[in-house]
Amino acid sequence: MKLNKWQLPLTLVFFISGILLVSVLNSLAASYHTRWHQKNQNLVALIQTQEKIIGRLEEDIEKTRTSLARSQEVLAAGKEELQNLQEKLSELKVQAGLVEAIGPGIVITLDDNRKGAEATQAKNPGQFQAGDFLIHDKHILYIVNELRVGGAEAISVNDQRIVTSSDIRCVGPMILVNTTRLAPPYTIKAIGNPDRLGSVLEMQDSEYNILKMAGFPVNLEKKSKVVIPPYKGSYQFTSAQPKEE
Amino acid sequence: MWLPLLGLLIGIGIGSALAVPIPGIYVKYLSVAVLAALDSAFGGIKAILEEKFDGTILLTGFFTNALLAALLAYLGDRLGVDLYLAAVFVFGVRLFQNLAFIRRELFAAWLRKRRFSSAGGEKNG
Repeated sequence: MKLNKWQLPLTLVFFISGILLVSVLNSLAASYHTRWHQKNQNLVALIQTQEKIIGRLEEDIEKTRTSLARSQEVLAAGKEELQNLQEKLSELKVQAGLVEAIGPGIVITLDDNRKGAEATQAKNPGQFQAGDFLIHDKHILYIVNELRVGGAEAISVNDQRIVTSSDIRCVGPMILVNTTRLAPPYTIKAIGNPDRLGSVLEMQDSEYNILKMAGFPVNLEKKSKVVIPPYKGSYQFTSAQPKEE
Repeated sequence: MWLPLLGLLIGIGIGSALAVPIPGIYVKYLSVAVLAALDSAFGGIKAILEEKFDGTILLTGFFTNALLAALLAYLGDRLGVDLYLAAVFVFGVRLFQNLAFIRRELFAAWLRKRRFSSAGGEKNG
């Protein structure tokens, strides 16, 4: 029974020591384990994040490639469009008279009727009126108009291109075309179908015919190649605006 | 003789079975408490060998040492000083002293026993 004296307390002490020891060891092992586990999880999370980023970047690449292809298509289309626009522009320039035009047409020359004037003055000076024997702006205007009726595509008077804004008017003894003074003889050039232009001009009551009948020294020449210089003035559109579509 | 060992084994078994999860910050205090417990256990063995064992002293010493060590560690943490090292040092030193004493006592006992037995053998032979 002497043994019992120390056995019980010591057993209790050992028992509690055992519990504490194992608890500490367990928790340390657990924390060690969790540390590694945590680290692994962190690495896994890192990898997953990187993979996500890679996926996103790949998507970006794909998108960029698509947009690049689209841009190239647009660029190609743009080139085509540009070409079309340039073709249109040159066409419009021809129509607006901004470039030299070459083509078949007719050349008309008009001059004052000096011979007729002298003859009239000699025969009956009382009836002589100098104006009747001069080429007036009106004559040129009518002829230009008739040329347009005949389908002239480009017209010039003494190398002044007739464009949409061209004026033909009289200032004293001069004729102004495109506000440039012209002096006789007048050369009117027109590009178009020469036969058609000629037939319009040679109609019975055409201005050209009237002048011819009146004895003016006029001449009409059909040519396979007529060169008409460009309009050298400027177009100014300050009031007229294109209508909004 | 085997009862304390059995107690240790049962304690280990219960500790493993319960596997109480201890938060990381308390592990340090518990470690110090374990040291105190081991110190008390070896101190108890030493006392038995010295034949001046007292159950009350052992138990009170065991609990107060363990609690004090844990408190010291806690205080150290609060103060920002590794005060638990003091407990570790003291208990460690005492553990080694106790173990050394136990070893010497057991060795001496074993030698005495052998001498007696050999002497007896010579007598018998």
